[in-house]
Amino acid sequence: MISVSMKNVGKSFGANKVLKDVSLETHEGEIFGMLGPSGAGKTTIINILTKQLAIDSGSIHVAAESREIGLLLEHDGLYPRLSCIDNLIVFEDIYGSPRAKTKEMLERVGLKDAANTPVHQLSKGMRQRLGLARAVLHEPKILFLDEPTSALDPVTARGIHRLIYDLRAKGSTVFLTTHNMEEATTLCERVVLLHKGTIIEQGEPKEICERHNAVKTVMDLEAVFVKLTGEGLL
Amino acid sequence: MNSIKAIFKKQLKDTYKNMVVLIQFFLFPVVAWVMTEMVAKSDENIPNTMFVTMMAAIFAGMGLIPLVASIIAEDRERKSLRFLVMAGVKSGAYLLGVGSVILLVSILPAFAFSFIAGYAGREFWLFTAVIMSGVAASILIGATVGIVSKNQQAATGLAMPIAMVLGFGPMIAPFNETVARIFHPFYTMQFTVVVESTYTYAWQPFAIIWANVAVLTVLFIIAYAVKGLRG
Repeated sequence: MISVSMKNVGKSFGANKVLKDVSLETHEGEIFGMLGPSGAGKTTIINILTKQLAIDSGSIHVAAESREIGLLLEHDGLYPRLSCIDNLIVFEDIYGSPRAKTKEMLERVGLKDAANTPVHQLSKGMRQRLGLARAVLHEPKILFLDEPTSALDPVTARGIHRLIYDLRAKGSTVFLTTHNMEEATTLCERVVLLHKGTIIEQGEPKEICERHNAVKTVMDLEAVFVKLTGEGLL
Repeated sequence: MNSIKAIFKKQLKDTYKNMVVLIQFFLFPVVAWVMTEMVAKSDENIPNTMFVTMMAAIFAGMGLIPLVASIIAEDRERKSLRFLVMAGVKSGAYLLGVGSVILLVSILPAFAFSFIAGYAGREFWLFTAVIMSGVAASILIGATVGIVSKNQQAATGLAMPIAMVLGFGPMIAPFNETVARIFHPFYTMQFTVVVESTYTYAWQPFAIIWANVAVLTVLFIIAYAVKGLRG
């Protein structure tokens, strides 16, 4: 069953055309990755799919109500003066989630000891983990994650990956953007490569790498991207 | 209802932890008390209620308008509103939650003003009710400014001139009849009027304040319909 779809979507900011004829589909219970350098249009796609931005042309479909969606963005929207637990309690109250779930989430993202620390005292990585805990608190149908592990150390990132796998196992669709090739290759079942607002390749990571002879000792999606665009991902 | 309760709790905790905001609620009653004790009570020509009404007008007008505007603009600027809207919080519920906290916390300074003025019984409750009605009007102005402003800086830039006019108008009014006439329909002026009328015609200031509230509600609804609250 299709969870998210975009058909021939175009979007411009003034004269700057940021998305050109973008079409993609994700399926229920799938971990879907979007790869591309800064300015490729990844965040714009998330903003469109979460109805923060209107499209100029084409059509979109998201098979979830807004409160069935989980969201982690670069601007985390956390309340800096409130503690980690209080930030989650706001959403616990809105969703009607049990308190035990909130505490469990803090533990799962490794913030149990920082539960009473005000958010303004947290590092960027800790804020990111708290944002993720908030995004998954209500076990969303669709989870949009914008660079979910960009500020995290490898051990914490693996913990986050486990959390994403668990959500997928419960039937959630995960739609993530990343710069991290290894993350995309190991975590995502399907990916799209986005370059200057255009999808240049899509499919399973292995299939894409094989198509472009980029399977060495490990699958190398970055090599595919460089081959197709002549540019690096960072 | 869950949403209103959640926003109310959030705002109460946030207000309690925000010294800059918290100080606004206590600064004006303290200044009113100091001026009443040190100036009004030592000069027979100055009524004991003068500084209280002056500070109450400044509190409701100058203090609360930028405060409410900046709370909403801050939530919008740091994208917190986006997450609330995604979670299904309706804009009306958000504004009701924030407004209720400001209204609730304002009861303390309103009581303090009435106490400093030396009111008791009916007069005490009447003056407190007038201030609280003014607070409701200021919350509406602050919310309107918060809605139409892109960020906190813009909100402060827009709120300050409005607040200064509404706050300083009643201060100048006792010294200039024209100013008093111009400001008579404004709610902040009614704090002085209710004191001067010695409560014989207490319904009039209330009528004017609630007429202000009605007009401001219409302005707020228009701003809300045009701009919305999306982060």
